[in-house]
Amino acid sequence: MKMNWKRTLTVVPLSAALLLPTATAFADDHGDHGGDGNSMENAPTVSSPAADLRATLDQYLSEHAYLAVFTMQKGIDGSEDFDQIAGALQQNTEDLTAAIESVYGEEAGSMFQEMWENHIGFFVDYVTATAEGDEAGREEALTQLDGYRADFSEFLEGATDERLEAGALAEGLQMHVDQLVWAFDQYNEGDFDSAYDNIRESIHHMYGVSKGLSTAIVDQFDEDFEGSMADTPAADLRSDLNYLFSEHAGLAVTTMQKGIDGAEDFEAAAGALNDNTEGLTEAISGVYGEEAGDAFNEQWSEHIDFFVDYVTATAEEDEAGQQEALDNLAGYRDTFSQFLSDATENRLEAGALADGLQMHVDQLVAAFDSYEAGDYETTYENVREAYGHMFGVGEMMSGAIVDQFPENFESGMPSEMPRTGLGGTSEAAGQTPWYLYSIAVILLASAVVFMTRRPKVQQ
Amino acid sequence: MKRWLWAVMILFLGACAAETNNETQVENTAEVDESAPEEETLSTGSEDQSAETSFSLPRPSELAGASSESDIMSYERTGIEPHRIEIPAIGVDAEIEDVGLLPGGQMDEPSTMDGVAWYEGGYQPGEQGSSVMAGHIDSRTGPAVFFDLEDLEEGDEIIVTDESGEARVFVVQTSEAYDREDAPLQKIFGYSYRSQLNLITCTGEFNSEAGTHDQRLVVYTVLKEDLPS
Repeated sequence: MKMNWKRTLTVVPLSAALLLPTATAFADDHGDHGGDGNSMENAPTVSSPAADLRATLDQYLSEHAYLAVFTMQKGIDGSEDFDQIAGALQQNTEDLTAAIESVYGEEAGSMFQEMWENHIGFFVDYVTATAEGDEAGREEALTQLDGYRADFSEFLEGATDERLEAGALAEGLQMHVDQLVWAFDQYNEGDFDSAYDNIRESIHHMYGVSKGLSTAIVDQFDEDFEGSMADTPAADLRSDLNYLFSEHAGLAVTTMQKGIDGAEDFEAAAGALNDNTEGLTEAISGVYGEEAGDAFNEQWSEHIDFFVDYVTATAEEDEAGQQEALDNLAGYRDTFSQFLSDATENRLEAGALADGLQMHVDQLVAAFDSYEAGDYETTYENVREAYGHMFGVGEMMSGAIVDQFPENFESGMPSEMPRTGLGGTSEAAGQTPWYLYSIAVILLASAVVFMTRRPKVQQ
Repeated sequence: MKRWLWAVMILFLGACAAETNNETQVENTAEVDESAPEEETLSTGSEDQSAETSFSLPRPSELAGASSESDIMSYERTGIEPHRIEIPAIGVDAEIEDVGLLPGGQMDEPSTMDGVAWYEGGYQPGEQGSSVMAGHIDSRTGPAVFFDLEDLEEGDEIIVTDESGEARVFVVQTSEAYDREDAPLQKIFGYSYRSQLNLITCTGEFNSEAGTHDQRLVVYTVLKEDLPS
């Protein structure tokens, strides 16, 4: 097997790889119109060094979960493209390592890589043991994963100078392990709906890890992040949209592959894709209202149908049908770009959007065509491109929304600590010490009691 | 060099797995083939899956609304709307009010001497992130609710409940005093992987010119479940 380890994908910085002219334009455009109240803050923005770090970790950590899940499925199925998807997982590891290395240096980078590759190896062991019906082997793999979890948590605790505490991290990592194992077992047992629910959860889970890790790194090396923070409401929105858009791309790839394979879990995969659409719709409704959300949902669902039409036409060797599906996708591209352009009041320019959407369509079609043709190297190159592309879409979309409704994304960070004392017990206040007041109060009170009692005594 | 080795090893592992799977796969498919028709008739009567001669996939939008009841495993730390705070170690049992920011961006103060203020612009107690509550150390005339906050020690518990009585228990880790204008706000108010609750009161000398104490005491506490058992 030959792998192209020097793929350029790994070196292209996230933002440069994508369709971002407009997004970066308005990201830099903030200056002086944010000066109300919170004097420390400029207008909220999704594009800051800290938010970028978080997005990078979002991408590689969630892609890891996505690729790991399907590597395990391909493994147990003995699929022809196992080597290539495992190769894509390895490339993801190298990208993740590069990110860690850029923060913590080469030595930490290699330590990270070694542990990370080991844990992938243990998952593969688990799949192999399952395929062989080797219960002891499965147990052994889980024990190994346990050890990894402890070591890796210690590693991150040390690296972040205890900003990430090993105990809580280990629990989070255990969840990752359990989710992957569970989703795999359910897949293997034919409980596809549960499998895909847990697959979605396992992908989403990584965004929590990413948020924790990025805030720890930003706190640790604050001078490198120009005072920007990874946990602002704007960065949260960007991350939420990163999740929904990239999961869409990932599940679309999967659904198309399952479709052409006539796989039993096609409907479960398509169902997961629908659930993702619901999540996106909720996000859009939350910003632009229910009507816009419904309009979004309709167009978005339709474009997914067109992809599946393309799969069906391909299976039936119906070239006219394929072309019709592509034409429909082109039509969707134009109306949907216009929809987003209108919704964002032209913050997103329809032409640039259409180009970006076309890229999304091209990547998915290329990934699918090459899969159908058995050229799996090309497949997974395009899968990774398609997945990564969505992080640019997430930045662009969240950037437009935050620019449009800045008041909804004010940082909740106070500029000052609260006033929590009036000095009544402070000796240095140059006032009468509080206990003298107390004594006075007691004296007064007893005087009152005394006075009110007196009449009684007289009676 | 080392990385190459690992890469090769991983791929080798992968290749092994693929090969072994190819062998066992044959058995698997055989089994599935036998049982598949039965399962299909059992599980669904829809025409979608029947086609062997002509290829037909349901369009995903046709599947919309199909709900499944699966158990989902998720790492979730849900917060509560705080209503009451109890700190047995220093005899505190107080109501909680929600506060926001003052026009200048400063966290607002508690409106009473007996009550505790939760910063509602931040995190809820129990969810991932640092929830913040503040209480006065004193009034003009005597001690207030957090007068003894400085006496808290590692391991002391803090119980926060919502209106229905649902509780989150936090455990004191450490406390630190900061100059009031130089406190690490991000650390105190920002996101944290663990669910934290940070308690604030005044400490140090009262600066009558500024009308406030010169320092703030922060007691850092962590959700009990997030601590190693």
